[in-house]
Amino acid sequence: MWFKKSNFITVLIVLVLIYFSMRITEFDLTKFKDFRNMIDFLAQWWPMDFSKLPGMLEDTFETLAMAFLGSVFGLLIALPISFLAARNTAPSKALFQFTRVTLSFVRSIPEIVFGLILLTTLGLGPFPAVIAIMFHNIGVFGKLVSELIEAADPGPQEAMRAVGAKNWLANLFSILPQIWPNVLSQFFYRFEVAIRTSLILGFIGGGGIGQRLFNDFKTFQYSSVSLDVLIIMIMVIAIDFLASTIRNRVI
Amino acid sequence: MIQVKNLTVRYPNMKTEALADVSLSLEKDDFVCVLGKSGAGKSTFIRCLNGLQKPTGGEIHFDGQDISFHNEEQLRKVRRQTGMIFQHFSLIPRLSVMQNVLTGMFGYRSSFKNLIGWFTAEELALAKKVIEDVGLSEMAYRKVEHLSGGQKQRVGIARALAQQPKILLGDEPVASLDPGTSNHIFTLLTEMHERLNLLTIINVHDIELAKRYATRILALKDGKLIFDGPPEKFSDSQYRETYTSEPQTAYFDAGI
Repeated sequence: MWFKKSNFITVLIVLVLIYFSMRITEFDLTKFKDFRNMIDFLAQWWPMDFSKLPGMLEDTFETLAMAFLGSVFGLLIALPISFLAARNTAPSKALFQFTRVTLSFVRSIPEIVFGLILLTTLGLGPFPAVIAIMFHNIGVFGKLVSELIEAADPGPQEAMRAVGAKNWLANLFSILPQIWPNVLSQFFYRFEVAIRTSLILGFIGGGGIGQRLFNDFKTFQYSSVSLDVLIIMIMVIAIDFLASTIRNRVI
Repeated sequence: MIQVKNLTVRYPNMKTEALADVSLSLEKDDFVCVLGKSGAGKSTFIRCLNGLQKPTGGEIHFDGQDISFHNEEQLRKVRRQTGMIFQHFSLIPRLSVMQNVLTGMFGYRSSFKNLIGWFTAEELALAKKVIEDVGLSEMAYRKVEHLSGGQKQRVGIARALAQQPKILLGDEPVASLDPGTSNHIFTLLTEMHERLNLLTIINVHDIELAKRYATRILALKDGKLIFDGPPEKFSDSQYRETYTSEPQTAYFDAGI
């Protein structure tokens, strides 16, 4: 009664995909029989070593600054571009297509690739990491914001044109207030993602708490690793909390 | 004020014309109501008058100038003298009543001043005055999404008045309001029409409202102008002709 023949075929296809993916990834739960090793390993994480806490906090703020700059600059640059990449506000069809293609090209390059390229030219440290995050975010924000622009209520846009406002001004005033809360929540989401990304970029020499975590791990200082991990968790939760507070105030 | 000659609009991919060969002349002391079924061409007609819709044929003379060949920049100068109100109010959300009204002056000011929000004392005084005219002084600094439908349309009217327009256009401005509120809005429009000597052209579905407030009725059917005259001359049979396409039905004979 509830199931059609096509449902069974879908289930079959998914099952086949699961099977092959497990083969490829050597997915095997019996490997957990050496679980004791992990407990022994994690036991070395205790007790936490607080002696390097000031340096860790400094690195944490570096990570936050990297993520913040990368996403703020990304958004600021993407905002005007988004109006060119939205069907309803693009000045010409050719420009619209060009912007769209460019944005998806930029978006298709992962931050880590940007990072690896930039690190060789700009040297180690947080600056190339910021640029890497920014570039990728331009691509992401450009897509997200242009989609918000396309979904905006056309009524106010027509009203602004009827008032005799210049086209670009009419678009700006009628669309930006409508999409602003959504833009803001996208921003906070991308900020959180940027924090995680900057950790990974730290692994390749991009600075911040990520680099410290990587170094501590590679030099077997597990009692510092545990504190690094704890600080990262607190940072992510704090940003999440802050983001929802600010969002609630705006909406 | 406005002369329309053989105005024709044909949308791409449409078999019939949205407006077919409409000619008429509108004067300052007219309070015009445009009647017609959905799709009869009312909206298209109104939108042609301020250049939101390009005619595919014919001429529109605005204060003696033919605007049918105007470019965007010239049309902007026409639009800023033409206030317009909408069925769904089309206010800018998240902005206050005052801010929405001030956007009505955008056509006359430099983009830079508009962008940073710098207004002269006279401009602010004008905004205050039109908000008072529509009876919303107490709500001037409230965000528009907190207002009722009738109040929103008053903001729409205030925004149009802030343009100090020569003409006021309305595209079904009371279609989403209840009958009492619709009457209030029409009373306000009449008041403004008389006080400011403002040519007013309103699309409306409700024949009662049209008969009560209009000084002149236009009826459109399938893009053609089938009636143009004072409300008392608009007979029941003409009303039926405007709103039916099939042979007259008992439903229409019974009520009106």
